[in-house]
Amino acid sequence: MRKESTGIDVLSHLTRERLAELESRPKTPVRIFLDYSICFMPVVFGLAALAEYLFVPNLKGNTSTSTYTYFLAVLISVSAIYFVLSFFSKKVFYVLRYKAPFYAFIFVLLMLYDYLTLKTGKLVLPYFTWTDEILNAIWDDRAYLLDCTVNSLKLLFTGYLSGAVLGLITGVLCGCFKSVDYWISPFMKLVGAIPSPTWIPIVMVIASTLFSGAVFIIALGVWYSLTIATMTGIRNIDRSYYDAAKTLGANPLRLVLNIAVPFAVPNILQGLTQGMSSACLVLITAEMVGVESGLGWYVSWQKSWAQYGKMYAAIVVLCIVFIAVNWGLNALKRRLLRWQEGITE
Amino acid sequence: MNVLELSHVYKGFARTEGEEVTQALDDINFSVHDGEFLSIVGPSGCGKSTIMRLIAGLIFPTAGTITLNGEIIKGTDTERGMVFQKPTLFPWLTVEKNLNFTARMQGRRHDAEYKAEAERLLELAGLSEFRNDYPHQLSGGMAQRLALIRTMINHPKVFLLDEPLGALDAFTRMNMQDEILSLWQRSNHIVLMVTHDIDEAIYLGTRIIVMAPRPGRIREDLKNDLPYPRVRTSDEFLGLRKKVLELLNFGQSKNTKEAQKQLERSNKP
Repeated sequence: MRKESTGIDVLSHLTRERLAELESRPKTPVRIFLDYSICFMPVVFGLAALAEYLFVPNLKGNTSTSTYTYFLAVLISVSAIYFVLSFFSKKVFYVLRYKAPFYAFIFVLLMLYDYLTLKTGKLVLPYFTWTDEILNAIWDDRAYLLDCTVNSLKLLFTGYLSGAVLGLITGVLCGCFKSVDYWISPFMKLVGAIPSPTWIPIVMVIASTLFSGAVFIIALGVWYSLTIATMTGIRNIDRSYYDAAKTLGANPLRLVLNIAVPFAVPNILQGLTQGMSSACLVLITAEMVGVESGLGWYVSWQKSWAQYGKMYAAIVVLCIVFIAVNWGLNALKRRLLRWQEGITE
Repeated sequence: MNVLELSHVYKGFARTEGEEVTQALDDINFSVHDGEFLSIVGPSGCGKSTIMRLIAGLIFPTAGTITLNGEIIKGTDTERGMVFQKPTLFPWLTVEKNLNFTARMQGRRHDAEYKAEAERLLELAGLSEFRNDYPHQLSGGMAQRLALIRTMINHPKVFLLDEPLGALDAFTRMNMQDEILSLWQRSNHIVLMVTHDIDEAIYLGTRIIVMAPRPGRIREDLKNDLPYPRVRTSDEFLGLRKKVLELLNFGQSKNTKEAQKQLERSNKP
């Protein structure tokens, strides 16, 4: 028999990338060249930023070190490595092709900021410090910053987790039992009307320690958003799921744990995200007002000494911490919502 | 021998607004025993689904009694399995976990008997290779097959089918009818199936209950002795079909009468 149909060879071992490639129009050489040029853009703009830093003379009196040079060099190397990898892996190529313009833009921003501060002083000292200073501040004060970060995270997660657990329980009880809802709902409406930072001055005075006071306020905000989200999720359940579960032998407790809660998971996750943003807000406010440790405290402390470089350093660390926390939350979301239409394919 | 008996069952529903009560079922009496396949047909609003939900124990009669083997039904139980018009699969569970849901609810998740049965049913329903998929990834027919075997795994004494094929296309529907039939013939338990498809009712049932609406009541309890497998185009089949249609006021006679009336009216000067 003649071996026909190259189609079968082509169609074996299909991957998502391969599918996209097969179904899209063939790319012209010009197009391919353009794609890879775009992937190379971060390296080009990175080098430009580096050149700007090294060759444009500083404003008189401004000093700079080689820390920023190393920093840029590392970023450029990473861009270059990804560019090389994109020739070998389609997956890397697609991601890089998508992200490269933005990465290039970040280098432009870095370059612009450096020019406006270190090189020309258009943005004046002491309020604006050049990146090199900030990096040095982070490095010099790393031990203390790390300590502050750990303290902040401790406070954040103690408050967040206790609030989340309590909110989940309250939400489930209120969603499932009218009699619980009767007693809790009025208080929910009261608490919900007041932004949680409002409580800071009072609680800081009443609470036995500042830490426990801050935990309480963070937990309060998280508890509120999680209770509301869980309740809404459970209320929206399609009754036919309860009916089906009952005929399959589920008792009332099982209906709550195995039907109501899983059904409300998308809402619960939304509540968790919302709760996290409120928790971060309260954390920083509490640290700036009362708690004498943590990144928020560090920021206001350095500001009061006019140490703007160190202040920015702490803000940068804060950004990184919050980005990491949200990333973790999103990973959890993806994991738990695999069953939803449109998320898995 | 299992016997399901409804005697003088009434059911009223309170309207969402006002004090009025809608009479959904009015004096329903019938009994079914093992080996019978009861088709219930009737126009919408005749309380077909209400009967199913009553037997399942999801709701309770206003008056009258429903008994299974002499015991009054007091709530849901796995001895009475129900399949709904929507597959009502739990979207957060995979195919396999949906199937094992009932074992889990009864604390028998690690029961070897259940495991073997689950395996057999997955194979039977052609869902083995989709065991790790989520319900939204299944086709309509596959989803309803899963809903069927999810209930069947308990070997219910009474199998309640509430228009389970209503949402399927004609071809899938006919295939599923054969599947339901063979499942019933193997178990020989009581099956009650609500449908608004007269063809389906006659094709499957050993008895056909024809209902009338507002309030829902039984118009006729027909016996259907045609041997299986039934031929949809045979004279006996079509004869029975004509009878059911007439009971539902869709028969030839009604149409002719209407036509004659119209003719008379138009002939008047």
